Amino acid sequence: MYSYYLIIVLAPLAAAIVAGLFGRQIGRAGSHWITILAVGLSCAFSCLVLRNMFWGGAESENISVYTWAVTDGLNMEVGFLVDRLTALMMAVVTFVSLMVHVYTIGYMHDDPGYQRFFSYISLFTFSMLMLVMSNNFLQLFFGWEAVGLMSYLLIGFWFKRENAIFANLKAFLVNRLGDFGFILGISGIVMFTGSLDYAEVFARADSVAAQNIEVFSGTPWNAMTVICVLLFMGAMGKSAQAPLHVWLPDSMAGPTPISALIHAATMVTAGIFMVARMSPLFELSATALAVVIVIGAITAFFTGLLGIVQNDIKRVIAYSTLSQLGYMTVALGASAYGAAIFHLMTHAFFKSLLFLAAGSVIIALHHEQDIRKMGGLRKYMPITYWTALIGSLALIGFPGSSGFFSKDLLIEAVKESHWHGQGAVYWIAYLSVLLGVFVTALYSFRMFFLVFHGEERTDAKTRSHIHESPWVVTVPLVVLAVPSAIIGWITVEPILFDGFFGDAIVVRQGIDVLAHLKETIWHGSFALFLHAVQTPVFWLAAAGAFTAWFLYLKRPDIPATIKARFSGLYNLLDRKYYMDDLYIKGFAAGGRSIGNALWQKGDQLVIDGIIVNGTANSIGKLAGVMRQIQTGYLYTYAFAMIIGLTMLLSWLIWFR
Amino acid sequence: MDFSQYILSLLIWLPIVGGVLLLVIGDDRDVNSSRSVTMRIVALSMSLLTFLISVALYKWFDNSTPAMQFVERSSWIPAIDVWYYLGIDGFSAPLILLTTFITPLVVLAGWDTIKIRPAQYFAAFLILEGLMIGVFSALDGILFYVFWEAMLVPMFLIIGVWGGERRIYATLKFFLYTFLGSVLMLVSFIYLYGQVGSFDLFKFMNAPLGMTAQKLIFIAFLLAFAVKVPMWPVHTWLPDAHVEAPTGGSVILAAIMLKMGGYGFVRLSLPIVPDGSAYFAGLMIALSLIAVVYISFVALMQKDMKKLIAYSSIAHMGFVTLGFFLLWSISSGTGAGLGMTGGMVQMVSHGLISGAMFLCVGVLYDRMHSRQIADYGGVANTMPKFAAFMVLFAMANAGLPGTSGFVGEFMVIIASFKANFWFAFCAASILVLGAAYTLWMIKRVVYGEVANKNVAALKDLNQREFIVLTVLAIAVLLIGLWPAPLVDMMNVTIEQLLQQVAQSKL
Amino acid sequence: MILLVLICVVLIADLFIDNEHRVATFWLSMAALAITGWSILATAPIERVVVFDGSYVSDPLSQILKITAVAFVALAFLYARDYLRANDLHKGEYYLLGLFGLLGMMIMTSANSLLTMYLGLETLALSLYALVAIDRNSATAAESAMKYFVLGAIASGALLYGISWIYGVTGTLKFDEIAAVIAAEPDLNNLPLWFGLAFLIVGIAFKFGAVPFHMWLPDVYQGARTPVTLYIASAPKLAALAFTVRILVDGLGGLQDVWADMIMVVAVLSLLVGNVIAIAQTNIKRMLGYSAIAHVGFILLAIFCGTDKGYAAALFYTLTYIVATAGAFGIVILLSRRGYEAESLADFKGLNERSPWFTLMMMFLMLSLTGIPPFIGFFGKLNVIDAVLSSGYPGLAVLMVVASVVGAFYYLRVIWYMYFEPAEDQAVLQASADTRLVLSLNGVAVLGLGIVPGWLWALCTQIALSIR
Repeated sequence: MYSYYLIIVLAPLAAAIVAGLFGRQIGRAGSHWITILAVGLSCAFSCLVLRNMFWGGAESENISVYTWAVTDGLNMEVGFLVDRLTALMMAVVTFVSLMVHVYTIGYMHDDPGYQRFFSYISLFTFSMLMLVMSNNFLQLFFGWEAVGLMSYLLIGFWFKRENAIFANLKAFLVNRLGDFGFILGISGIVMFTGSLDYAEVFARADSVAAQNIEVFSGTPWNAMTVICVLLFMGAMGKSAQAPLHVWLPDSMAGPTPISALIHAATMVTAGIFMVARMSPLFELSATALAVVIVIGAITAFFTGLLGIVQNDIKRVIAYSTLSQLGYMTVALGASAYGAAIFHLMTHAFFKSLLFLAAGSVIIALHHEQDIRKMGGLRKYMPITYWTALIGSLALIGFPGSSGFFSKDLLIEAVKESHWHGQGAVYWIAYLSVLLGVFVTALYSFRMFFLVFHGEERTDAKTRSHIHESPWVVTVPLVVLAVPSAIIGWITVEPILFDGFFGDAIVVRQGIDVLAHLKETIWHGSFALFLHAVQTPVFWLAAAGAFTAWFLYLKRPDIPATIKARFSGLYNLLDRKYYMDDLYIKGFAAGGRSIGNALWQKGDQLVIDGIIVNGTANSIGKLAGVMRQIQTGYLYTYAFAMIIGLTMLLSWLIWFR
Repeated sequence: MDFSQYILSLLIWLPIVGGVLLLVIGDDRDVNSSRSVTMRIVALSMSLLTFLISVALYKWFDNSTPAMQFVERSSWIPAIDVWYYLGIDGFSAPLILLTTFITPLVVLAGWDTIKIRPAQYFAAFLILEGLMIGVFSALDGILFYVFWEAMLVPMFLIIGVWGGERRIYATLKFFLYTFLGSVLMLVSFIYLYGQVGSFDLFKFMNAPLGMTAQKLIFIAFLLAFAVKVPMWPVHTWLPDAHVEAPTGGSVILAAIMLKMGGYGFVRLSLPIVPDGSAYFAGLMIALSLIAVVYISFVALMQKDMKKLIAYSSIAHMGFVTLGFFLLWSISSGTGAGLGMTGGMVQMVSHGLISGAMFLCVGVLYDRMHSRQIADYGGVANTMPKFAAFMVLFAMANAGLPGTSGFVGEFMVIIASFKANFWFAFCAASILVLGAAYTLWMIKRVVYGEVANKNVAALKDLNQREFIVLTVLAIAVLLIGLWPAPLVDMMNVTIEQLLQQVAQSKL
Repeated sequence: MILLVLICVVLIADLFIDNEHRVATFWLSMAALAITGWSILATAPIERVVVFDGSYVSDPLSQILKITAVAFVALAFLYARDYLRANDLHKGEYYLLGLFGLLGMMIMTSANSLLTMYLGLETLALSLYALVAIDRNSATAAESAMKYFVLGAIASGALLYGISWIYGVTGTLKFDEIAAVIAAEPDLNNLPLWFGLAFLIVGIAFKFGAVPFHMWLPDVYQGARTPVTLYIASAPKLAALAFTVRILVDGLGGLQDVWADMIMVVAVLSLLVGNVIAIAQTNIKRMLGYSAIAHVGFILLAIFCGTDKGYAAALFYTLTYIVATAGAFGIVILLSRRGYEAESLADFKGLNERSPWFTLMMMFLMLSLTGIPPFIGFFGKLNVIDAVLSSGYPGLAVLMVVASVVGAFYYLRVIWYMYFEPAEDQAVLQASADTRLVLSLNGVAVLGLGIVPGWLWALCTQIALSIR
C-alpha cells in the first residue's frame, strides 16, 4: 500500500505546484482539471484504503518515508501511520475536498485569482493529509502549521479586502497561541519519552504518567496532565474552542468554498482528530479529560447562542460549526472518542453541504450575505433549498439523518460519563450539550426560514435575475446531501459499537462509555430511530425548530421586541461576550504598547541614549575641555612642565 | 584530491585576490562601459568560483570525525609562536558554505543597483568574504584575531560609502562597538599565550586555568561575541547599521557577520573556559530569553522594514545563544546536544532567511527609495511574484515547519523544555510574537488595496532579482524539509565539544 | 668613528654647493646619507664596541637605530623635495639642518656617557629649532620655534641639573661605570640619586613629548612646515628611544624600581591625554601630534616593564610607528600645493574621488596607527601588551586597549572624510614619480610588514637581549 499512500499525499501537492507556478501557462481550465484529477485520484485511493480497512480487514501500517534529521539520539522521521482512524479521516478529507474543488469551478468562475485558488486548496488537501497520516509528532506539527498557513492564505485570498487580511492575520495569530502550547506539549513528550514517534511514545505513556513535573517549583504536577493540557491548547486553537474560538467567525471573510472545506469539514476538526489520536495519552490523565470536557461544553453552548443573533448567513453557520466542534470536544472529554470522530464525519458532510448551499445562495444574490435581505428563495432555487433543508435537519439531529445518529449517541455518551467526578464537570457537560440541541435547532431554522421562506426582502433588481446555480455548484450539493441524509444508518454500528477503530483508539477500562452504551441502549440503528421520540433530544430540537418558525415566520415582529426588552443580553451576544474586544483592545493593543515602551524607553533612551552615545559624547566633551589646557601661551607650557617635575620630586620624597 | 590540502587557503585568498583585481580594474563613470561590465563579470565569476570550491569542500568533508580537516599549518611569527594554522570541523564547515553561498547572491543583488564606484563595492565584498572564511577556519589565536578585526574594515566602508542618510553615525557606531568588544578578547588571547607560550587554539583549550581567570576570560570573550551576535543589551548597533547599510551590506551583516559571535562561543568560550561558561550559563540563558521576548516586542513596533528585520534577527539569534548554553541545565539524556545542534542550524537558517528578507526589502527600496512600512500597501497587486517570495520568507521567519526557520527553533525549544519549563515558555513565545511582527508587516506592506500611486507604478521582479530570490527560497525549503545533511555535518563535532566541556579545567 | 667625520665633510661640501644649484644639494645629501648608511652597515659590529675613552658605544641597538634614522631622514628629504620646491623654500638649509640633526641623533644613539648624550641631544635640538623656523615668512612657524626653543632650554636645564646630581653621587658620567657604582654600593641608591633621576626623566619625557612635558609638541607639529613636522615626527623618536634606553637601562638600570613608576605615570597620562584631546582636533598635523603623544605612551609603557621583552617591544613599536607616521605626513605633503597647506582634516574630504590609490595608502597608514590587523601597528601594540601582561599588569593592558579604542575614532574620521564625504576641490595630486613610488612603498610597507612581522620582531628581541 506504501505507493498508494505516497500517491494519495503527493498527487495534490504536485497538482498544487503545477497550478501555482505554471497557472498562467496551463490556463484556468488546465489548472482546475489537473487539481481535480489529482484530488480525485487521492480520493479514490483513500476510499480504496478505507474499503480494505472496512471490509478487507487490512491491518494498520506504520511506515517511515525518510529520516528528517537525527541528532543527539533523537530520531526525527517523516512517515505514515495508516490505521482505521487515519483511513476514515483520509476518505472524509479527500471526498469533501473533491466536492469543493468541483464546486469552486462555479463559485470562483469570474475571479482573477482562479489558478491561485485551485493551487491553494489542493495544497491544503496535501497538508491535511500529511497531518492525518503522520506517524510522529514532528510531521503532525508540520501538517498542523501547514494547514494553518493555507487557512491564512485562503482567508486572505481576496487580499484587497481589509476585513479579509485582518481576519487572516487574526486567525494565524490565534492559532499560533494554540500552537504555542502544542509545541510545549511536544517538547514535554520528548522530555519524558525521548522520542517523537507515536508508537514509542504510546508505549512509554504509562511511565510518563508515573512522573511529575514542577512547573512552579514546589508544586509537582502529573507530567501526563501537563503534557495533555498543553497539547489540548493546540487543539483549542485549531478547533476553535473557547476562548481561542474568536478567529473562526472572522475567517468567513474568505471565499465560501474555503469556509466549507477548511472552516467546517476538515481543518477545524484537526484538533478533534489529534486528541483522538492521542487517546492513549489523554486516557492517562483524568484531569486533562475534565479540562477537555469543560472547554468543549462551554464552547458548545455559548457559541451556539451567538448564532442566534447573527445576520450574516455564513457567520451563522460558522457559529454553528463552533458549537458542533464543542460537541465533539465534549465527546472526547467523555472518552467517547468514537462518538467524536463519528460526529466529525457526519458533521463534515452536512456542514460543508450547508456552507456550499449558503454559497450557492450568495452567488445567486450577487454576494449578498445578510439574511435580512433574503427570503422566499425557495421557489427560485429548489435544489439549493432541498439540500439546505437536508443539511439543516442533519444539523439539528432530525431522526434518521446522519446528524441524528452521531449527536444523539454523543449526548447519550456524555450522559453516561458519570465517572467524571459527579458534580460540576458532569452537569456542565451534560446540560450544555442537551440545551445546545435547542439552540442549534433555533438558529439553524431561523436562518433556514429567513433565507428560503417568508416574504421576499430582496430588492427587485436582484430578484429579477435570481436563478438556480450551475451544475458544478448543484452537483456537489446533491452528492453531499446523500451522505448527510443516510450515512448514519450504515456506519453507526461499526464505527461506534463494533470497535471499528481497533487499537487506533485506546480507552481505559471502566470509563469506556461507548461499550457501556452498547450494553444498555444499543439495539441497532432502527431501534434507535424509533426510540428517538422518547429522548429529550428530539423534543428539544423540535421545540427549537418550532420557536424559530413562530418567531421568524408566524410573528416576525416579536424578535424586535425581545431585542428591545433584553437589550443588555442582546448586546452581550451581539458583541460576542466582548471576547474580540478582549483580544483586540486587550492583548493586541497591550502588546503594542509594551513594544513601544521597551523600544522608546529601553533601547533608545537607556541603552543607546544614556549608555552608548552618552559615553561617546562625554568623551567628546572631555576632549573639548582638555584641549583648553593647550592655551598656546608659553608660560602655561612651562608651568605644566614645572608642575610635572614637582610631582615627580614630591612623589620621590614622600612615597619612596 | 591533492589540492584539497590547500582548499582552505584557496577559499580565503581567492576572493581577496579577486577583490584586489577589481580595485585594479577600477571604476568607470559609465556603468555600461565594457570596463564596468568586465569588472562585474570578474566579481561574479570570482564569487561563483569560490562557491564551487566550497562545494568541493562539502564533498570531501568527512562527517564521521570530530577532528579538524583540511588542516594547513606553517609557521608565521616564530618569535611568538604564531602559526598560519587553518582547519575546519562541523562548526566551521556549514558557516563557510553559508558564506560562499550568500556572497554570489549579494554580488548579483548589487549588479546594477550600485551606481557609485561599483568596483570598490564588489571588491569590498569579495575581500570581506575571504576574511570571513578566514575567521571560520583559523585555528591560531592571532590569525583568528587578524581576520576578525580586518573584517571590520570592509564593512565599515560598505556602510559608510554606500549607506543611507545617517550612515556615518551608524558605521562609526558599528566599528567602535565591535572594536571595543574584541580588543578585550585580544588581551585574553595574550594572557593565554602567557600561560601556554603559544597562540595555538588547541593549546588554549588544554591550558589549565583557575576559576577567576576563567571568569575574566569568559567575560572578555563574552564582550567580543555578544556584541557580534548581538545579545541584549549590546545590540543597539545592529538596527542602525542594518538600516543605513546598503542591501548587500545588510545581507552579509545579518547572514554571516552575526554568526561570528555564535561561532566564537562554540569555538572559543565553551572549550577554553568551560567552568567560566558554566558559571555564567544562567546569565547567558537569561540574556538570550530577554533577547527573544523583549526584542520581539520591540520589533513589533518598528516603522522601518529594515529595522524590523534587524530586531527580528536579534530575537532569532537569541535562540542560538540559548541553545549553546543550555547544556549545564540539562541533567541527562537527549537535550544538550539537541540545543547545540539547534543553535547551529538556527545560525545557518537565519543566515538564509534574514538575508532573503533584506534582499526583499532591497528590491522594494531600489524601486521606491523608502523603507517605511507606511509608504507601502497592496504591493501584491503590482508585484505578485515578489509578494509570493516575500510571504514565503516571512513565513520562514515566523518559523513555519517546512522552512529552515523551524528546524533550529524546534530543536532549541525541545531542549530548553528539558532544561526548565519556563525557558521553553519564553522561547516558544516567538511562535506568537515572531508571527505577529512579521505577518503584521506583511499585512501592511504586501496586502491591501494599492496604497498610493508609487505602489501602483511598481514593476515586478526582474530576472536577476527573481533568480536570486529563487535560489534562496529553494535553500530555505530544502533545509526545512530535509535538514539531515546539515545536521549530520555537525553531530560528531558537537558530541566531542560536549565531552570537552563536561570535564572541568579546575 | 669615521662616519661622523664623513658626515661633517659632506656637510661642508654642501655648504659651498647649495647656493648655486639647489637640486644638487638634495642629491648630494642623499649621497651623503647613502654613504653613511653603507658605512654603518659595513662597520656593523656584533657585540658592543666602546670607543673614545668609553664615552661612545657602538652596539646592535645603535646600529639599527642609526640605519633606520638614516633611512627616515632620507625619506623625509624625498617627501620634502617637491614641497620645498613648490614653496620657494628649496634652499640647502632643510637638508643641512636635517643632516646635522641626524648627526645629533647618531651621537645620541651611541652615547655611552651622559655628556656625550647631552652633546648629541643639543646638536639635534638646535637643528630642530632652526628647522621649525625655516620658513622665515611664517609667523606661526616662528612662534612655535620660539616656544620649542624656550621649553627645550628648560628641559635641557633640567637634564644638566640631573646629570650633575648623578655625577655628584656616583662620581662618573659613563653609563657602564654609573651602573657599576650603583651595583657596588647599594647605599648610594637613595634620594639624591633619585633626584637626579627625576630630572633626567623630565628630559626624556620632554624629548618624547610625554604628558605633562608634551605641551610643545602639538604647537610645533602644527606650526612647522609639513616637511619639518615629518622630520621631527619620524627619526628623532629613535633618538629619544636610544636616549631613554641608554640612560635608564644602561646607566640607571639598578634604579629600575624607582624610575619604573615615574615612567608609568607619565606613560599612562600620555596615553589618555593624547588619545582624548586628539579627538577634538580639526587640524591633521595637530591631530597626529596628539596621536604621537598617545603612541609615546605605548612606547614608555613597554620600557616601563623593564624586561627584555619590554625593550624589544619598545624598539619594535617605535620602528613601526615611525613608518606609519612618516607615511601619513608624506600624504599630507602630497596634498598640499604651492602656497596652500593641506592641514585641515576637511582637506581630506572626498580624497577617494581624486586619488583612490593614495586614499587606500592613507587608509592603510591610519589603520596601522589605530592598530587594526593585519597592519603592522597592530603587532606593535600586540607586543607591548604582551610585555605588559607578562610583567603582570593586566589592568594596564586593559587600559591600553580601551584607550586605543578611543583613539580609533579620530583615525577613522580621516578614513570617513576620505571615503564618505564628497570632494570639495577636484584638483589632481601632482607629485614626481619617485615620490609617488616611495610613498606607495611606504603605504604598502605597513601592510607588508604586518603580513610578515616575524623577522623584525626576531631582530628586535635579539637587539633587546644585547642591551646591557
